[in-house]
Amino acid sequence: MSTSALFDAAPGLSAVLETSSFHLHVRGAIPEQLCGSLVVATSRRDKDRTRFSRWHDSQSDLLRLDLYPGRPGRVQAHFLSVDPAGGAMVRGLRPEGFYATQPNHGINIRGATLWATNLLFGAPLEVDLADWTPRRILRYLEPNDPAPQVTSTSHFAWSLDRRYTYFHQSLLARESQGGNVVALELRLIELDTVTGREHVWEIVPPANDASLESANFHSAFYFEENGRRFVGLLRTGAILECLEAHTAVHDHRVARMPFSTIWILPIDDDPSVLHASLLSGLEALPGLALSHLDVDASGGDGFVLYANYKQADVAEETHGVNIYGEPPEQVMEHYAGMIVEPINYGLLLRYERRHGTATVRTFSRPYSPGRTSLGHTWLPINMQLDSSGQRLFCTFSGFHPRLLPRHVAAAYPDLTVDPAGIRHVPPLLMRFMADTLEPDFDPQRRHLSYAEPVAIAVVGDGGTDYVCTFAPEIGLRIYPADDLTRMVCNAVSPSLMNWRDSHFRPEPAHMQFVAR
Amino acid sequence: MAVNRPFVEGPEWIKVVRNATKLVNKLEANSWDFDTVPQAFARTAAADVVAKEVLHIHDGHTMTRMGHLVMGGVGGAFNLMGPIPSDSRFMVTDSTALNEVKKNLGSRGLDDLEEYHELTRRYGELQTVKFFNYGAFYTLRDLVFWLLVHDAGCFPSTLETMVRHFAAGHVVQNDMYMPARPSKDRERPALMTTGACMMVQFPSTVIEWMDKPMFGGLAEDTVHIEYLLTLQPTHVSHPYLPLVGEGKVRLGYQDFYQRTFAGVTPKDALRGPGVPAERPTKKRK
Repeated sequence: MSTSALFDAAPGLSAVLETSSFHLHVRGAIPEQLCGSLVVATSRRDKDRTRFSRWHDSQSDLLRLDLYPGRPGRVQAHFLSVDPAGGAMVRGLRPEGFYATQPNHGINIRGATLWATNLLFGAPLEVDLADWTPRRILRYLEPNDPAPQVTSTSHFAWSLDRRYTYFHQSLLARESQGGNVVALELRLIELDTVTGREHVWEIVPPANDASLESANFHSAFYFEENGRRFVGLLRTGAILECLEAHTAVHDHRVARMPFSTIWILPIDDDPSVLHASLLSGLEALPGLALSHLDVDASGGDGFVLYANYKQADVAEETHGVNIYGEPPEQVMEHYAGMIVEPINYGLLLRYERRHGTATVRTFSRPYSPGRTSLGHTWLPINMQLDSSGQRLFCTFSGFHPRLLPRHVAAAYPDLTVDPAGIRHVPPLLMRFMADTLEPDFDPQRRHLSYAEPVAIAVVGDGGTDYVCTFAPEIGLRIYPADDLTRMVCNAVSPSLMNWRDSHFRPEPAHMQFVAR
Repeated sequence: MAVNRPFVEGPEWIKVVRNATKLVNKLEANSWDFDTVPQAFARTAAADVVAKEVLHIHDGHTMTRMGHLVMGGVGGAFNLMGPIPSDSRFMVTDSTALNEVKKNLGSRGLDDLEEYHELTRRYGELQTVKFFNYGAFYTLRDLVFWLLVHDAGCFPSTLETMVRHFAAGHVVQNDMYMPARPSKDRERPALMTTGACMMVQFPSTVIEWMDKPMFGGLAEDTVHIEYLLTLQPTHVSHPYLPLVGEGKVRLGYQDFYQRTFAGVTPKDALRGPGVPAERPTKKRK
């Protein structure tokens, strides 16, 4: 079933919507705990892999999978495709190539409301989950010609009672001669999800991390300490040499990303300015692209943060000659504009700050084909605690060595893997012990699963947990959290694989469960 | 994969089977880490499906898939493995249905594709082979045991894909084939096909496509032509291939809507030029 409609939320803010819904073929059983919906932001692009299309800008289709428990149970998919070009949703006239929203990455949900985000560009789109229609775009800054785009946090912070949500937003100013894109007018937004009230603060960067070229924040978290409220912003550090997508594809100068940091903002209702400081203890970590996280801030005195360094230059994308010196025409798997590959294996971080004391643990591991039971940390994506808070589930995208561009690797000669000694690394889902950040090793290998989609949702009731994974081509898989060698459900549909003759690439990164 | 020990005579066979049992026990006891049993790594792995011509029929309840595969290989014997749903019917059958569809469409199948002709120029002449010794693996242990008995070996990363299929409740069907004129030259591998079709049929309310093939050490891509037949008009498209034609065909007394997809797709798990295949971390003793 497919329908079209006009979204006209406000004067100058309209778009053609397309929705479609269909059932998946379900094998196995859907557990009772999964009575609800899984929400996924997908990316879609042309099947022609030679056609350059920047991964950040890929068409966004929001997908809601309604799960009805039983044997086999039912799964019904609802797609919401919001204005394929994005241009019609822009308020007023904007230069071509920039969009108000293109929510193909992050999922933030409270009650019946979804805020979907891009991984770097544009503003969040607010969507009514039940009606499956957009309500508004959360843009608090007005783009102009020198700064025609905004950037927003993809993964919001939540107050302990989940009533308030926090995210960063700033303008992105075009690159100057010899210079890079810079962020302007850094803001932190607090949104009261009950009343809709908004509070916007200006952010003053830490004096020792004040560069506005790298001031972008993929994820945020919230905690309380000594009766005060704080928001942490993971300073990803992507540096864009050019704000617009390439019009001609060739090797180019790559500005090296600085190592990531975490900015801490003390929340105060009164002042209009928040002064950020750096979270201490991370200075020695040579980590790039600190991004996705889970946090245990319960108790109101500090927090335990789980986050990952991707070791990937996330401002870049796949094109040009690869690290083996092969031009794209010789690389069958080349995908112009696709998600950038990491330059080396990533790093998991566990940062605990309780009662004024900080403890840092990390975990990283290369891939050894002869010892696959140990897992790896190549391109970490999701980290999610189970309902007990004792176990941490992480996904890793792996590595395609022939898709790593030479001009990107050249910016990191000291960090890049030896091309002659590395092969394809398969994607992985792995269970860790939350208190030690060590793999929850099981000789029967029930702690890991290779060849797994990176989008996961861990759903549990404090007793039994399930891990759901999803990719359009692979479908929905559900595992008992204790045993990743046994699916209890697999649901598929060809309608998930493509939309007319385009297909879903890159694979969705995130998914969130919302109970019915 | 290349099969280095397709057959062994009686008493020797007992030794081979006992040794494979010992090794598979050791692997299982060591969490399937190949470093503990380096013999499990494939030594020669120059074999791949290089082209396929597939007919997919979906009647709303059942998925029927039949096709000709074209394989390339360096060596004397090979095996072909593929996961299928556990409630499948698998058989080797004749090509009547596929030929009928092609005749309806005026299609010559793979012969319509320039990429296929390029392939046949690069490889040796096309040889007709027969599949034999059909089997099915229900567990990872069955599969690895068979590979050890026949000295085929495998690569851990590729095996993990099969592990996922077992976790989903699939079985892995397996058969062997041997060319009459084997090749020892990686630059000019033997090119093989069967006159018959492989057919798999399983219940499904939706159209289900085949997985992307994994790189087996020889061909980095696969040339496809795939026909989709449905009783109702559909917008369903192939996950990787572009749509090249659509219309109607008659198969027996039944009219079907058809969509044809064709092109070349990369295999999964490719590696850089000159980079060797996966091998033990430690040296073999």
